[in-house]
Amino acid sequence: MPYYRCFTPKDALTFEQRQDIARAFTDIHCGNTGAPRSFVSVSFFETPHAEQPDFRSTYYVDGANRAGRSEDVKQQLLADLTRAFGEIADVPSDMIDGRITENPASWTMEGGFVLPEPGQEGPEWYAEVAASAAD
Amino acid sequence: MITFNCTIQEGIIPDDLRPKLASELARISTGILGGNSDDVTVRWIEIPRGFGFRGGHLSTTSAVRGEIPPGCQQETRVRLMQAIQDRWMELTGCTTAELVVSARDRRET
Repeated sequence: MPYYRCFTPKDALTFEQRQDIARAFTDIHCGNTGAPRSFVSVSFFETPHAEQPDFRSTYYVDGANRAGRSEDVKQQLLADLTRAFGEIADVPSDMIDGRITENPASWTMEGGFVLPEPGQEGPEWYAEVAASAAD
Repeated sequence: MITFNCTIQEGIIPDDLRPKLASELARISTGILGGNSDDVTVRWIEIPRGFGFRGGHLSTTSAVRGEIPPGCQQETRVRLMQAIQDRWMELTGCTTAELVVSARDRRET
């Protein structure tokens, strides 16, 4: 976590655009939340796809994050993500929609550790994550 | 009913390893949570090469996302996630940095 799934029409994005979006999402998520970069996953699915949620826009950003952040942070995050997606994909904003769903951090184990709640990440946890990533 | 959605990157988990991984997910989860392995569903979602990223780079990470009956004690949940992580790493050779395991409460409909 976080995990961002981007749903697009077939062949809508080049590899370079997907990579740029993934990098932008990583920057945006970490800038808004302070999460380690190595935890940000972004996948792209071409529609129709069995995994897609119900949506009516042409492009959709479906984020899954740890619960516990303020509504302001979540709204800012989604706005920044969809704006970056539109800029990189060269798609007007009215063709992009999205959502961010949340689950308790304690329901996920990542890097070998149960995730702490947002705001509870101490320096020890960041050090453990860095050590795990270096293994 | 227990469901696992396993999201894997193309080329990372050999096809012939998947049945073993699925049977181990069923064995581990029913061993800890109870129930019958026939009630465990394992689905595979393969991300094509160039479509999955982590930290802005191409991803080699697998994610095992479980949906379990609601009301599980946290200690039991952690034991389940730990057991899945240990066995998955043993069978696939991946590192802790290449695996995400979750066990969320199934949403009742």
